Amino acid sequence: MLTRCGDDLFSIAVASPGQAQALALQLREAGAWPEVIPGIDTVLVRFNAARHDAHDVRKEIDAVLAQGIPELQESAGLLEIPVVYGGEYGPDLDTLCSATGLSAAALIELHTRRVYTVDMIGFTPGFAFIGGLDECFRVPRRKEPRQRVAAGSVGIADGRTGLYAMASPGGWNIIGRTPHQLFDATAEDPFVLRAGMQVRFKAIDAGEFGQ
Amino acid sequence: MSITVIKPGLQTTVQAGPRIGWRHMGVPANGAADPLSLALANKLVGNAWNAAALEATLVGPTLRFDSDCAIAMAGARAAITLNGSEQAQHETLFAKAGDELVVATAQAGARIYIALAGGLVADEILESTSTNLQAGFGGHEGRALQVGDSLEVACCEVELLQTPDEFRLPMSSSWGLRACMAGESDLLDETSLQTLFDTNWIIDRRADRMGLRLDGPALTVSSDGRMPSAAVMPGTIQCPEDGVPYLLSVDAGTVGGYPRIAQVARLDRHVLGQLRPGDHVRLLLREPDEAVGELRAKLAYWREWLPDIEATIL
Repeated sequence: MLTRCGDDLFSIAVASPGQAQALALQLREAGAWPEVIPGIDTVLVRFNAARHDAHDVRKEIDAVLAQGIPELQESAGLLEIPVVYGGEYGPDLDTLCSATGLSAAALIELHTRRVYTVDMIGFTPGFAFIGGLDECFRVPRRKEPRQRVAAGSVGIADGRTGLYAMASPGGWNIIGRTPHQLFDATAEDPFVLRAGMQVRFKAIDAGEFGQ
Repeated sequence: MSITVIKPGLQTTVQAGPRIGWRHMGVPANGAADPLSLALANKLVGNAWNAAALEATLVGPTLRFDSDCAIAMAGARAAITLNGSEQAQHETLFAKAGDELVVATAQAGARIYIALAGGLVADEILESTSTNLQAGFGGHEGRALQVGDSLEVACCEVELLQTPDEFRLPMSSSWGLRACMAGESDLLDETSLQTLFDTNWIIDRRADRMGLRLDGPALTVSSDGRMPSAAVMPGTIQCPEDGVPYLLSVDAGTVGGYPRIAQVARLDRHVLGQLRPGDHVRLLLREPDEAVGELRAKLAYWREWLPDIEATIL
């Protein structure tokens, strides 16, 4: 469960993204680590190896694990994210239609019907991994990643929705784009989304983009 | 007090210390790719080790001083002139108003650090003034310097200092990086694992602050090459589907879905900033506690000249 994966790194395997987030919170409360970084089914802890012996770090982490890992409390609020699907904003929607045999309208209906939980933030500032997709969205990433994916892009890969808070290279299948700003470096709190938040997507017309 | 950019060089950015504790929000370390050289330059002008300075990549900038200012350079080996007269790295230089500093192409190493007494005045975002080029924040307008940019310097009086010979970080074209096994090292077959640590890897031309491709024999991982996204760090070596190892640096994404096959040990991570295309790199396998022992010995050595060394190579 606990693996040394570098001179100053430990990795902890967990069962779910919610557990990874909850354990990360517990670890941060229990000790002063330079970094505690949840993944989808792992938590990485970086410790200050100059002062802290790995043997003691292992004991401290084990003590936290012994308390048991709760699931992350989902936040009460629900954030609605408007999305223009398809066309120039979602160039891979057609690919998804051929892969699933569903019409664009049916895919959009499926994507907007559910309430999802943000599993994890990571990759680039504010990039959100959102779980809970219908099984039919289980498609791999693009073979050729794009050099530039626009900010606000909504991607699908490996059974998750990925929200690009900023422009970056990327390999997710882009089905739409939100006009909502998801990261603002100048704001007091630059991040709109956090792990554990509830979100729902709402289809809007291209004409509403930028309004 | 300010300086004006006459020529920006290949990619010159404002960099200070790293962003620490934001990786779970997707924010990488940023900061000097070679923080030890940043600290060495800042030391010579009386600054804190992590004061905002200029990081020049391969080809240095030409700068004009609008008033008197003490400066110092460390990092990659490069010729420097102040108003046409040759100057040395590793010592305090005193520029006068109107002087022009020309930093030439690096001869060895990839990044030259130019520290200015008092430090550069830069945008502080998420607890650091370092530039995040990908997201476009921090430093000077979140971007690399351009012709005509004017940068504000806090400026203060300082004494002449020289870095003692034994603390001048040697530059090379052939490097050894101590590294440990990482989370998915066991996905490499035995031959590939041996190849990883026996190969004289060559730094590919696609090398930047995000990461460096290591050219050499292709490696084989015993999975489809993908895994659930997990945290990565500067110094993490990933093995993507094409089998070409990718060494992550200070601006890399904070999570990745490729197997993590090795991890450069903390004591050698500052070297990542000095690797340039064509350089040779060998990975030297260490048991984690062995690498910690070497880290502590290195810190003890450097502490004499740089009291903040522990924070510098965090």
